[in-house]
Amino acid sequence: MTPGRLRFEGRDVPVLEGDTVASALFRAGVRTFSRSLKGHRRRGLYCGTGECPNCAVTVDGVPGVRSCITPATGDLRIERPRGWPSADHDLLHVADLAHPLMPVGFYLKTFIRPRFAWRTAERMIRRATGSGPLPMDAPATRTVSRHVRCDTIVVGAGVAGLTAALEPAVDGERVLLCDGFAIGSRVAPGPTLDAIRTLEARVRANPAIEIMEGYAALGLFDGPSVPLAGAGELVQVRAERVVVATGATEAHQLFPGNDLPGVWLGRAASAMAALHGVPPGRRVVVVASTAEGVEHLRALVAAGTPVVAALVPSAFVDEVPRETEAIVDGELVEARGHGRLRSVVVRERGERRRIRCDALVLSMGLAPRDELARMAVGEPVRLVGDAALDAGEPRLGGGYLCLCEDVALHDVEQAWTEGFRSAEILKRYTTATMGPCRGAMCGRALACFARDHADAADQRSGARTTARPPLRPVALETLAAPVHEVVEKRTGLHEVHLAAGANLGWSSGWKRALSYGDLAGEYRAVRERVGMMDVGTLGRFLIAGRDAARLAGSVFAGRIEDLAPGRSRYVLALDEGGYVVDDGLLCAVEDGSYLLTSTSGGAERMDARLREWADRLQLHVHLLDRTSELGAILVAGPRARDLLERLTGDPIEAAALPYPGHRELTLAGVPCRAIRSGFVGELAFELHHPRSRGPELWDALLREGKALEISPFGLDALEVLRLEKGHLYLGQDTLPDDTPAKLGLNWAVDMSKPWFVGKAALERLAELPPTRRLAGLEFEGAPAEGAELRGAPLTVGGAVVGRVTSAANSASLERAIGLGWIRRGEDGFPNELGAGSVVARVVSTPFYDPLGARVRG
Amino acid sequence: MAELRTSTPSVTSVLASAEACDRVSELPGACRVSPGEVALMGDVSEAAVRAAVVRLDPDAVVLDVSDGWIVHSLDGPGSREAFARLSELELPAAGSLVGELAGVGVRILVDGDRIDLLVPSMIAAHVRERIEVDAAELLR
Repeated sequence: MTPGRLRFEGRDVPVLEGDTVASALFRAGVRTFSRSLKGHRRRGLYCGTGECPNCAVTVDGVPGVRSCITPATGDLRIERPRGWPSADHDLLHVADLAHPLMPVGFYLKTFIRPRFAWRTAERMIRRATGSGPLPMDAPATRTVSRHVRCDTIVVGAGVAGLTAALEPAVDGERVLLCDGFAIGSRVAPGPTLDAIRTLEARVRANPAIEIMEGYAALGLFDGPSVPLAGAGELVQVRAERVVVATGATEAHQLFPGNDLPGVWLGRAASAMAALHGVPPGRRVVVVASTAEGVEHLRALVAAGTPVVAALVPSAFVDEVPRETEAIVDGELVEARGHGRLRSVVVRERGERRRIRCDALVLSMGLAPRDELARMAVGEPVRLVGDAALDAGEPRLGGGYLCLCEDVALHDVEQAWTEGFRSAEILKRYTTATMGPCRGAMCGRALACFARDHADAADQRSGARTTARPPLRPVALETLAAPVHEVVEKRTGLHEVHLAAGANLGWSSGWKRALSYGDLAGEYRAVRERVGMMDVGTLGRFLIAGRDAARLAGSVFAGRIEDLAPGRSRYVLALDEGGYVVDDGLLCAVEDGSYLLTSTSGGAERMDARLREWADRLQLHVHLLDRTSELGAILVAGPRARDLLERLTGDPIEAAALPYPGHRELTLAGVPCRAIRSGFVGELAFELHHPRSRGPELWDALLREGKALEISPFGLDALEVLRLEKGHLYLGQDTLPDDTPAKLGLNWAVDMSKPWFVGKAALERLAELPPTRRLAGLEFEGAPAEGAELRGAPLTVGGAVVGRVTSAANSASLERAIGLGWIRRGEDGFPNELGAGSVVARVVSTPFYDPLGARVRG
Repeated sequence: MAELRTSTPSVTSVLASAEACDRVSELPGACRVSPGEVALMGDVSEAAVRAAVVRLDPDAVVLDVSDGWIVHSLDGPGSREAFARLSELELPAAGSLVGELAGVGVRILVDGDRIDLLVPSMIAAHVRERIEVDAAELLR
């Protein structure tokens, strides 16, 4: 990869091939990589493996990026978010001195009185802490999601992972091997890397193994399923078995001064020296208690790092290079320095001794990364390699326990004395383990602390805290990838509306024409001449089979059996609690089947309801959702019949096609089922036609309608038209516990039927006095836009007793009208209410043409 | 690289009892949607199909529903990977299934690297756009 260009807080930083952002910055002399969360203490490179929070910087406006694992490629702009005026000279470091003001659990103890104290303090604390502001003006990007299946997924491509991947592959199983990084890319040259390369060659040669490099596992879920994040996508892997080979990180050590810049874990230090050619210091002290530590010591010396002393157990004494002083079986006591490491204190044969140094490299044991396996309960998961190690107890000598959340060991001790006496509640109180490293550095130490302090009998208090996804910091965008699904439904006339310049908007998942630019003109066309509207969004269902009438009679509350072929009827669907869940228009067809139209937003619900009851009642019916297949155009207005007569020879006069009724017609050569509709309160026909013929029919109506001054109208005009007629929108004008009585729809219920869904509940509810109902409202002193009243609380004597659910200016009535629900008071339902400064008077509906003469026309 | 093509199919819906549906679900281009429904893709003789099912279910409905559907076809190497970007369904080597893709219910006919997605017309544009965006580099 070609090295990139780093712009670090206003200056250019040279980059060499193979550099990470951290190595380039370190080579350029940067030692303070971040300031700690609360105390603004200086933090330098520490783990080098992307676990600890110390090297997190803001890259191109994105905060929280681990610079130690971010390749320095491309053009990158680097900033350190915390620190004022800068991370190097940070006056907020005073917070560290003010520690008594912000003790552990400070948010429960301080800034309580006076009452405004917290508001002020919170603002300051929020500004001083955090990982940096989010790039709110960044352009939206999209992470894609995909699904993969395999027999075995191996998470982690180190020696153990590669070996595990080769095991089942012999049987021809599909194995998926994933790792957050390229195989072997972060291992310094040595015997381990040699072993990895040998195994890697065998894995790459095996066609049954799919390798996904650069994909990090985020968690383990039921299935088992493992989501992987990488390369701009979220991959959801469903496997039969999971092998966790996530290895181990070098154990975080607790001693005074353990967070000083200059204190390194072995892997970070040896990689910096061996891979990037920058020695971690000019006088280096190494503590190597493990074989890996000795490997790091040798790598450091081989790369020319001046190692002045090495603390090793006696077994490794021969491994210490000659130029380095070996301190056998010595003990590390503390690290000293202000803002950076100046010396370490060790105990050698009982004697304390101070050694001047500017880097301290620690390799004192491993902390297995076994979180994935601990997330799995009862799933086929196997831990292999270092992840399966039985790690020793960390030493709790002082210093900082949790680097992410800036929690010192004495903070945890304080919490313990306050009575928080198990790892789980210590975690909640101190927030230790809750930072971006997800407990990788500190989880064991916290559990160990609780175990040491608890009663020997109390096993639970020292248990590890629950491992939870995400395992690594992940962008919300990645998590949203599989669920962010906005489905846009379109009618067959979508392109026609676009061409007409319609203002399109969302309604119940559909993109619909809200208006064509002249709301008042659209309204007048319907009331005075003729208008046309795309209503292809209505749900349409075929209900056929010998039990069709029984199903309709069961699902709908009204009388069905006397509905003659050619007639249609408004129907209400209730749930078993007697509450209204849907409505529609049921049309009886000559062959004994029904065509049902339902609300645009309720089609899927209606489909499910019909199928559920057909199944429950064991009815022989055939159901087909025809919503997608049929288009529909509503032609409405006093001249509607005149218009249709110009396009058809079929009889459409009131006797042949009465209200409410329907029949098949051929209009302009397009086969339609015309249904007389009363929704807008005028003579109106819904023309249901094959979807593909929609544009042709629309054009013909528009052409022939020209002489009648036809106008297409949209949802906005419909809102006023239906409101004048007092028709309600389910969902907008209703509440989940509305019965037909509350909505004034008892006329659509036939209690003399032996049974329908919800009947028993209605019988019981009928014995209770009505407490709430939907009412028609007329407003006095309404704002210029009557629609603004929608949502307004309705009050009587200052008490809220209802709410306006729909409101609009009625041109025909020359005042603002609406619907709203009102509660019954001691003297019955109120007749006059307040809606702010507006007076709302309860009136009967319909507001317009109460006798319905125009609809019947 | 896979090729994405959109076409208007001929689809006939057969709604009948399970036994009657069994009679037609082995026809070429048949997709068994549910025990009581079979979708027949391609040109079929409505009369012949009706004759086959009404003997077992006199109420059976045979209906041309072509207008309700659009077919998006993925064809060629990479088509299965493109499919996996949009759905968690496991595709058989060949056959038909019903399930969710790009958040919507679709019917799927598979034959090797040829995947026909039968999508309701009202959401066909959404599915096409999702394939084009999510599988961009896999498409010719």
